[in-house]
Amino acid sequence: MLFPTYLSFLCLTSWILTTVATNASQDGKVREFFGRHDGTSGHTNNWAVLVCASRYWFNYRHMANALGMYRTVKRLGIPDSNIILMLADDVACNTRNKFPGSVYANSGRNLDLYGDNIEVDYRGYEVTVENFIRVLTGRMDASVPRSKRLLTDDRSNIFVYMTGHGGNEFLKFQDNEEISAFDIADAFEQMWQKKRYNEIFFMIDTCQANTMYSQFYSPNILATGSSEIGENSYSYENDNDIGVAVIDSYTHYILQFMEGINKTSQTTMHDLFASYDPSKIHSHPGVRADLFHRTLDKALITDFFGGVSQAEIFPPEDAYPGMQSPSVKPGDTMIDSRIPSTNGSQLSSPTTQGRMFTTLEMDSSWPISLRKWGSMTLVGMLVAWVSLKS
Amino acid sequence: METQQQDETVLREPSKLSFESQRTRRSILASYWIVIFLALPFWWHTTSIERLSLPSARVRAQVEKELAFPVTIDLDATNSSLDIQSLKNDFRQLQKPVLLSSQRWKGIDMQLRLKEDRGTQVVPIPGTYSVAVGKAGALGPKRQLTISENDVPSLLEILSRLVAPYHTSVDSDLREQRVVQYAARYRLAFSLLNEDASLGQTITGWDVDNAIAEYLSPTLSSLSVLHNFTIESQVQLHAPLAFAPQPVTVGNDSAHGLSQEDLTVFINSAHWTLSSSVSNDPVLHFVLFVPSSTQKPLYILDDFGSPTDSSSFLLPQWGGVFILNIAGEAADKLSLSRSHLQPVFSAFRHQLLALLGVPPIPAGMNLVDDDPLSDWQLDAVLRRRALEATQGAQETLYSIVKLVEQIDNMPVGQHVKGDVQDALTALEQVYKVSPSSPTLALRWSSEAFSLASRAFFNPGMLALLYFPAEHKYAVYTPLFASITFPLVVALGREILAWWRDRRQQSRR
Repeated sequence: MLFPTYLSFLCLTSWILTTVATNASQDGKVREFFGRHDGTSGHTNNWAVLVCASRYWFNYRHMANALGMYRTVKRLGIPDSNIILMLADDVACNTRNKFPGSVYANSGRNLDLYGDNIEVDYRGYEVTVENFIRVLTGRMDASVPRSKRLLTDDRSNIFVYMTGHGGNEFLKFQDNEEISAFDIADAFEQMWQKKRYNEIFFMIDTCQANTMYSQFYSPNILATGSSEIGENSYSYENDNDIGVAVIDSYTHYILQFMEGINKTSQTTMHDLFASYDPSKIHSHPGVRADLFHRTLDKALITDFFGGVSQAEIFPPEDAYPGMQSPSVKPGDTMIDSRIPSTNGSQLSSPTTQGRMFTTLEMDSSWPISLRKWGSMTLVGMLVAWVSLKS
Repeated sequence: METQQQDETVLREPSKLSFESQRTRRSILASYWIVIFLALPFWWHTTSIERLSLPSARVRAQVEKELAFPVTIDLDATNSSLDIQSLKNDFRQLQKPVLLSSQRWKGIDMQLRLKEDRGTQVVPIPGTYSVAVGKAGALGPKRQLTISENDVPSLLEILSRLVAPYHTSVDSDLREQRVVQYAARYRLAFSLLNEDASLGQTITGWDVDNAIAEYLSPTLSSLSVLHNFTIESQVQLHAPLAFAPQPVTVGNDSAHGLSQEDLTVFINSAHWTLSSSVSNDPVLHFVLFVPSSTQKPLYILDDFGSPTDSSSFLLPQWGGVFILNIAGEAADKLSLSRSHLQPVFSAFRHQLLALLGVPPIPAGMNLVDDDPLSDWQLDAVLRRRALEATQGAQETLYSIVKLVEQIDNMPVGQHVKGDVQDALTALEQVYKVSPSSPTLALRWSSEAFSLASRAFFNPGMLALLYFPAEHKYAVYTPLFASITFPLVVALGREILAWWRDRRQQSRR
């Protein structure tokens, strides 16, 4: 009698994550081998969150800052659907605006930033701390439309730009409320936990801006700000016809640098940070890279400002029948190595003006304890006075 | 009479006045303090954050678990030149712990049963894969596989490729970055873009309905166990590129070429509207691009700058592009028929499968019955997606618990708690059904993932904003100081008066 003979090989039980560590070094080696992919961030999509936290006509320059960034990220290939623009948007059609429907960022008024194709996602009184935190963390009501959502995943690189009036570890939103450095740090941590980003590039132009990124603790964040603690950020120039300052100094020089970048540029973050000149900006911009896992001279500007990073030819198909076929003969092709240029017009004109307009900003360099104890003493004195009188 | 009464009032002792009586004064003061003390619990209740306790122990236990799918393969070795001994050895090699613990074999528990004798009857287990040696390599229905005699030496290699097609090497890991994240619903946006219709030779229409029905629908319906698809299409007559393609010469003709870098910036997102934003479902874009008569023919260049045969390319996690060069002698206005669209939609189909992570079948294999996809491929995707969703759900639940512990100001409402509990229940179901059905496992795991995500994204989970202590003083001092001081001072005076009274009484 033959009994069924089975060979059953039991095995492939489940494995715990122990191999991840061993594979990591191998991964690194192979990635290094792929020349062009060296140091790539491994992202497949780019997003931008641009926040102008001020409103009113005299904050014209903050609107221009945000719109300048908007124009730049759009030019470098981030689609409108991936840009969340939060803007009070009350200057373009302000009655005081001599050039209705336009926002300019330089005194010569060369380039209208407002243009005809602009999508403001959060406008006017919608620009609140709560909405900003909701955009980042994704905690939205089900009815919020797609255009107002940050639909990122673990392959998304996000550029976060903020501008407005701020102080030590806070940024004012429309003279109404404040966001603190702790709130942003917590929001980023929640994004990291839910795998809502691959890398974040955080840029802020406000007074004492560098304090705003001091509280970050989540990985893969590169942060830069316009000024140190106790230092103001100044505007760059004003336009005599518009009558107010049109752009902030730090943002002006960033945008000027970005004008030299095109979609396929190999310029790195290191180059951008090296271009900071405190004597021109009139404040000391800071960089925080300790949370960022790549070296700055490997991190391309276009990793955060660009569109797509990779494309593959897929699938290899024959030419379209009935239409023209390529009939390639590799031997007799000649290549014109003209580099496609997508440079836009120059944003800034050379200026002879120096510091035209310094803004008064909230000064919170007071010793905190002095304020605290001052109020306590006042209260104590009141109590003493009342009891003595009785 | 009147004057007498007035005198009485004037002459009355101040301490005898009703409102100056000690008793009245003290009861008024006491009533204030009683109201304050009674209001304290309300104040505490209304200002504290609702933080329900989450089932953290269950979540922690769940995170430790690992999902594993048993894959049983019955190999009919009776009728062939199969070297059973070497096969066994090879299989043992495959089961080395180093290999098994790799990313590739994670969650797959492969068992091989050999039928060595003709007379034996293998007890069929539902869901087993059957492999036989035949004339030509073919993937049949009902999880069958026929392997040709030539392929017998690489039998194990082929089986591994079919059962665990992902993460085969670091190179393939990079390639798999193109696979989109799992979603139960996708929108497929098909766009026909004429670069510039004003220059002539325009494609004004395409038979997209029938093309989709014929070339795509069978694939979509076999993928329906994984995803639901919504389809939208559009034709645009002016869709300029944001850059100028470089001129090249092919033979004696001039042409234009797209370098690798051009491909990455090909999509002119600033000017092309490629999909409507009607829903929050992820969109996969498929673009049929027709170069204008001044730019055509437009070829994709290889690394050395010479034109390649391929006319389509894929953008990871985004979609695919097909470049259609119209022949020089074509009419001014064209409409693409269903048969014209065959190569286009065949390319789109390949791109769609690649984006959705459906593994290709090994070389030399064929599909019988013209099925668009074999059970082997579908099961591999189902297993991978179920593993991903389970892992995603576990990580999300764990991060909710961790964040709630970490951030004190974060409220946890009843909805969050309910969703977390439901997600845990769904995860338990995944483990229950995974041995029998990958389809059900995917259904439960994606349910668990969406519940966990809903809990995470609950609008009520927004943490209160952080305020430094000085802000709190600044807000509370002007508000409460003016109320508190009279009350405290009055209380102090009353206590002082009472204490004096008592001392005077005791002296007497």
